[in-house]
Amino acid sequence: MSLLNQVRDAVDFIRTKTAIEPEIGLILGSGLGELADEIQNPTVLDYRDIPYFPVSTVPGHAGRLVLGELEGKKVVAMQGRFHYYEGYSMQQVTFPVRVMKMLGVKTLVVTNACGGINRHFKPGDLMLIQDHLNLTGTNPLIGPNEEAFGPRFPDMSEPYSKALQEVAVRSAEAVGVELQKGVYAGISGPSFMTPAELIMLRNLGADALGMSTVPEVIVANHMGMDVLGIACVTDMAIGEELEPLTHEQVMRVARETKPKFIKLVKRILHDME
Amino acid sequence: MTMKEKIRDVLAALESRLSVKPDIALVLGSGLGGLADELEDAIRIPYTELPHFPAATVPGHAGRFVVGRLHSVPVIAMQGRYHYYEGYTLEQVTLPVRVMQALGAETVILTNAAGGVNETFQAGDLMVIRDHINWFHTNPLIGKNEDELGPRFPDMSEVYDRSLRALAKETAQALGISLKEGVYFGLSGPSYETPAEVRMIRKLGGDAVGMSTVPEAIAARHGGMKVLGFSCITNAWSGTGDQPLSHEEVIEMSERVKAHFTSLIKAIVKRMGE
Repeated sequence: MSLLNQVRDAVDFIRTKTAIEPEIGLILGSGLGELADEIQNPTVLDYRDIPYFPVSTVPGHAGRLVLGELEGKKVVAMQGRFHYYEGYSMQQVTFPVRVMKMLGVKTLVVTNACGGINRHFKPGDLMLIQDHLNLTGTNPLIGPNEEAFGPRFPDMSEPYSKALQEVAVRSAEAVGVELQKGVYAGISGPSFMTPAELIMLRNLGADALGMSTVPEVIVANHMGMDVLGIACVTDMAIGEELEPLTHEQVMRVARETKPKFIKLVKRILHDME
Repeated sequence: MTMKEKIRDVLAALESRLSVKPDIALVLGSGLGGLADELEDAIRIPYTELPHFPAATVPGHAGRFVVGRLHSVPVIAMQGRYHYYEGYTLEQVTLPVRVMQALGAETVILTNAAGGVNETFQAGDLMVIRDHINWFHTNPLIGKNEDELGPRFPDMSEVYDRSLRALAKETAQALGISLKEGVYFGLSGPSYETPAEVRMIRKLGGDAVGMSTVPEAIAARHGGMKVLGFSCITNAWSGTGDQPLSHEEVIEMSERVKAHFTSLIKAIVKRMGE
């Protein structure tokens, strides 16, 4: 079955469960899933019940699609996402983004937990993603192009909407949250990077790195969506000063940062046109 | 089935239809395929008529061999090529180069449309490729090596033949065509580069960026062919938030430089035949 028909089947299924027509899509990264619990009049769908949706395997990722209202906006939120390192194909990783677009979503808000490469960052910082480096080693658009989704060669000159970045900066000021800015390097993982690799990434222009987001954002651009990306710096990844890191540490900082992250994302939703 | 067996199958389907044995192979990139229409006594063979050749999927890529003479030099041209981003394996992408070598071509001229990363480049420039960077994150030679085709560890110290590059520069000068020289940065695509990626490519030493050529050059060198490469710079990336780019603009710009490109390649082929 073609990817287009798979997406249509998933969309048809979701529409039998809810009448809501979401305008904004939210991908909630490590530790931010709780935001979906604040969605009002929610329709909650397990990924395993949605046709062709893969199922999440990472601890801390719930694996549910939540549709409803948040800050007066009609939203669809992914509570848990799919990662390339889990063994999914890039088409599977980005499948939910295509479903969101065909549900009517025009704006995608992507969040994640990342490592800080820029020396001016510290754990617990939030970073507005200005641009990215695709260092995953592949691209979700390899294969025959589906013209109904977008062009063969999508433009990536503004992968993260400048207008939405301005909204986020104003929202951060309004709620008194400090917001860093930078370039997110997307790698496959799942091993963390070596000191030499981290130094290389810094030399290549990265301010932060992580194992998600980039495939989703490429596909969102392919489908003509406006994207906003916000990353939570959960640990510092300075090659010269690297210390052993565990997923538990990452989760702890993500948990501690959660209140201000949620406050900011809600305010951004409130401030969006 | 081995690559050698596939090549043999293709030759069996191809050789009886050809009246000349080509000396030079030409791979014509996006918008540059028109050169193949200038071949004399041309025989056109769509890829779809050949075993092991899949159908091309991109608009602007015709997908056929054109075999004939250019300034009386026997050549075989690829009007349209296979790209990794279309979902083909790199073995499929590079099979045509292997076939052209097996037909007798000792030199391949690889051409492409590319984005300018070097800040001194402008849209419409022509660049002779001095070297490349393989950023496909894979290699067409991964797998069991077929020793009849080439060595396990092919040398890459001079992928783009120094004397052919010198010939290209002399020829361009004689024709009054400005010719840049630089490093081609090959990646999969198909999404175009972000501004941050453009700046990264510049730091890594790329002068032009595109989605082809590198696998073909690796396979050609593996087989011992001489390689000459040209990029038609269809847009200049600033890396600071560029204007959006469409495939149509890329094709339009290659159409505009086609005249210079065509006369340069023809003159080079003529001098190579002398």
